[in-house]
Amino acid sequence: MSVWLAASPLLMLCAGGLAMMMVDAFVKEKAELATMSTVILFGSAALSFAVWQGGAPAQAPEPLAPYLAVDGLAQFFNLTICMGGGLSALLAGGYLAEHRMERGEYYTLLVFSAFGAMTLAAATDLLTLFIGLETMSLGVYTLVGFRRTSPRSAEAAMKYFMLGSFAAAILLFGSALLYGATGHTDFAGIGEAVSGGHADLRLTLLAMFMLIVGLAFKVGAVPFHMWTPDAYEGAVTPATTFMSVAVKAAGFAAMLRLLLGCFGDPLSASATAGWPPILAIVAVITMVYGNVAAVYQTSVKRMLAYSSIAHAGYILVGVVSTFREGVREAAVSSVLFYLLAYTVSNVLAFGSLIAMGSHGKEAVSYADLAGAGRRHPMVALPFVIGILSLMGFPPTAGFFAKYYVFKASIDVGGAMIYVAIIGVLSSAVGAYYYLKVLVFLFMKQPEPGAPEAVPMRSGYITLALILAGYFVMKMGVSPSNYIDLAVRAAANLV
Amino acid sequence: MNSHLITALLALPFFSALVVLFMPRQMVEGIRRFSVFAMLVEFALSLKLLQGDYTTATYQFIESTPLVPSFGISYTVGIDGISLWLVLLSTLMTPIATYASWTSIDTKIKEYAISFLLLETAMIGAFVALDLFLFYVFWELMLVPMYLIIGIWGGQQRVYAAVKFFLYTMVGSLLMLVAILYLAAQYKAETGNYTFDLNALTTLVLPMSTQLWLYAAFALAFAIKVPMFPFHTWLPDAHVQAPTGGSVILAAVLLKMGGYGFIRFAMPLFPSASHYFGPTLAGLAVTGIVYGAYCAWVQKDVKKLVAYSSVSHLGFVMLGIVSLTQQGLSGAILQMVSHGISTGALFLLVGVIYERRHTRDIEAFGGLAKVMPHYATLFVIVTMSSVGLPGTNGFVGEFMILSGTFMSDKLMPYGRTLGLTLAAATGVILAAIYMLHVTLKIFWGPVTKPENAHLADLSGREKWVLYPLIALIFFIGLYPSALLDKMTPSVDDLSASYSNKLTLGALKMNERFLVPASAKFPMAEGEAETDDSPADEAAGAALPTRDTTLTAMQVARGAQ
Repeated sequence: MSVWLAASPLLMLCAGGLAMMMVDAFVKEKAELATMSTVILFGSAALSFAVWQGGAPAQAPEPLAPYLAVDGLAQFFNLTICMGGGLSALLAGGYLAEHRMERGEYYTLLVFSAFGAMTLAAATDLLTLFIGLETMSLGVYTLVGFRRTSPRSAEAAMKYFMLGSFAAAILLFGSALLYGATGHTDFAGIGEAVSGGHADLRLTLLAMFMLIVGLAFKVGAVPFHMWTPDAYEGAVTPATTFMSVAVKAAGFAAMLRLLLGCFGDPLSASATAGWPPILAIVAVITMVYGNVAAVYQTSVKRMLAYSSIAHAGYILVGVVSTFREGVREAAVSSVLFYLLAYTVSNVLAFGSLIAMGSHGKEAVSYADLAGAGRRHPMVALPFVIGILSLMGFPPTAGFFAKYYVFKASIDVGGAMIYVAIIGVLSSAVGAYYYLKVLVFLFMKQPEPGAPEAVPMRSGYITLALILAGYFVMKMGVSPSNYIDLAVRAAANLV
Repeated sequence: MNSHLITALLALPFFSALVVLFMPRQMVEGIRRFSVFAMLVEFALSLKLLQGDYTTATYQFIESTPLVPSFGISYTVGIDGISLWLVLLSTLMTPIATYASWTSIDTKIKEYAISFLLLETAMIGAFVALDLFLFYVFWELMLVPMYLIIGIWGGQQRVYAAVKFFLYTMVGSLLMLVAILYLAAQYKAETGNYTFDLNALTTLVLPMSTQLWLYAAFALAFAIKVPMFPFHTWLPDAHVQAPTGGSVILAAVLLKMGGYGFIRFAMPLFPSASHYFGPTLAGLAVTGIVYGAYCAWVQKDVKKLVAYSSVSHLGFVMLGIVSLTQQGLSGAILQMVSHGISTGALFLLVGVIYERRHTRDIEAFGGLAKVMPHYATLFVIVTMSSVGLPGTNGFVGEFMILSGTFMSDKLMPYGRTLGLTLAAATGVILAAIYMLHVTLKIFWGPVTKPENAHLADLSGREKWVLYPLIALIFFIGLYPSALLDKMTPSVDDLSASYSNKLTLGALKMNERFLVPASAKFPMAEGEAETDDSPADEAAGAALPTRDTTLTAMQVARGAQ
């Protein structure tokens, strides 16, 4: 496969982003940029799919070779990230226009940020890992602060930026240590050195934990989640959507590649030592904390932020399960499936939340939703499907995703069964706050005198909701194709 | 037999719900008539199930299509003499509950009809699923419509009751999901491929320590749904807050899911563990019988009284199930159907006076027999059935359960089953006390309250929903063999294969996993007396090795 073809999804985003900057300078109608960015992102997804069908090589062609992978796993993440990016661009197309915030740089930043996320997900070298991470993060920091006049948005961006830089520094420090310990920056070389016992053990362990901390920050795992609620709440909702799906997916992709590529040897990946026990504890704390904290929220947006922490915990359960050789393929594919399902479910939930408000009154808190299901059943329907999917209720994508992840951890056996039990119990806690959305939508009436949120009408948002809703139901009712896709992608890594 | 009858039964309410979805909201009468009509067609269709061959224990009308082959999930449905009656109960009670609702439900008719139709699909699905995964999906699907029915059309505290109902059931069923997954993982370890097929999974013989935990997870889910003491606290809330139609379905069908789950899934899959937990469950069941009866006695709210009487009646059902005698099991299934009919009728009757007076306080009534003679007659008949008067359906089930428990050789030694039976029998006496007490207060004596003086007697609609149930009360009471004959082969098979597996498990397993607390294994009995904590056993066998995880598939097949 030629280099150009192999790199075409990335190049498409890069060239598309540059072109959008030009267009932005010359057109007045910013809504066209929403269409353009959606087309670019979905186009890149289509290219990824084509590359994959054309037989994505496990070993990338030469100049890409040690730095970026173009294997099935990379293409799967391209699909997930472009799907999340494209859908959130559609949401932005409706949202920004409705709330008079339409500025062209939003879409350009979104495309470049998705480019960074894809680079991060495909990185097989510490250098590209860091470059991808920073490209993605810089875009997202700006998107969080996009509502310039709002102090809350500025605070969120500042917090995210400061903590993000700190985490990036830790990650960079870890990379330096790892290079010092092994003399390699590419994952394959590091993996060989670590499994061959040529690396300084103490340095390697320290580096490993620093890298995990850096990535755990990006995916919002407890105790590195402090930024999440504020950043999610302060950002404009379409940007929140993008953060919760694409950034998380890229973070987990990097984590998988790093853990299995560099630290996949039996010593670092054992049930009693190395990263699995640590990550298992992080996963348990994340699931429990995310779910319990979400119960106490009064803002739906903040609740969804905490729920995204909880979902990071479920995904981490899948990541931990990869350590057992026999289960590895199923565990990796469960993580992939979960990320895809979470992407479409979250877009559906956030998209419906966006659709519930219109200019002058955004629906943010539970009280804003009171009675909305009765007044506007067609906007409430996607909300219900999205919420049920996040809750993990059959027959939606979220149910199969949770099922698959917990199946992997039960297949590992031993202590991972307890992790799965804690996981399902905490998701029962999750059912409580998700149900609260349904309670307010259908069983409550707004307080007398409170301003009612009026749903907006936007073709962009309708399209995004229809697409996301389709995938949520399709992946729930007949998940076979998507599972096969995830299994094929996972085969590349195992 | 290659027939698509069951698929048709599942599809009809679902597609009717879709049709209602696209009917204009203003067509109130149209939606009302269409939904009940669809449910009646469904009932007529379900009567065709009676044509199956129920002289054997094999499943009838089996359909099987792979759904997700890589996970071994398949759409496998079938019906036997046990599930047949529960499916018929569902298809009978749904139109009755819906038709009865059309007097009191006047907002969001469309959503109400859709909820009931979807609920019907899910209920039937849970009764016919022979694939554990499919069962779980239907089991969960039942939750949402019922949650909406309580939460939207319920009383004052409806949101609290609806959320409580949802979360209770959800916690139990999530743990069951983990157990299902673990079971499938064990099967994979044995045979190399995944399956959720019930028949395949029952051939697994698991070590005792594993069985205990898996059984505990299943039993928790089912015990919450039954509901067994002490997991019953959601029931009074849900019943009192639910609209009449919701209460009827909840009592008549949803509460049967738990007992059915025990019979169909928990006991065949984990025989040794259900044997181990049998006495505990029997104790809880008897506690539930007596406790529920006492609680019912002191209630001021008629609906709450009926709700607590359900706790008591379902205690009988559980007792019959754990007795594991042919008679006890048949009695339990018959009692499930009977309870569905008589408690469903009671809720309908309570709904009638609630609609007229908008109160359910017993004190608010008195002397109604003079004002509403027709109503009083029906109420007393249903009361007699609920009390278990001979000649009504309530008597047959309770009598079989009590005699089955008394004769049980699997539950506990003879002397103690006597005590158990006696304790349970007090429940029958208490039932007479609280039910006659409420009848006395409501119907007899002078009309003391002027509001009651001019209450209208039953309307045509109310008569129509009640007459079929009254007819069934007498039919089952006088001719129970109509039901029993069809369920006997399945029950016999269940009971026999259970005994087989117990023996098999005890023979094939390592000695430490010997089935305790059994009259058949007197050696193990002593152990159980002194060491009755399953945790110790489990700790001793914390690491089940490959050789203890036996496949007795060949042996089991040979036994069949």
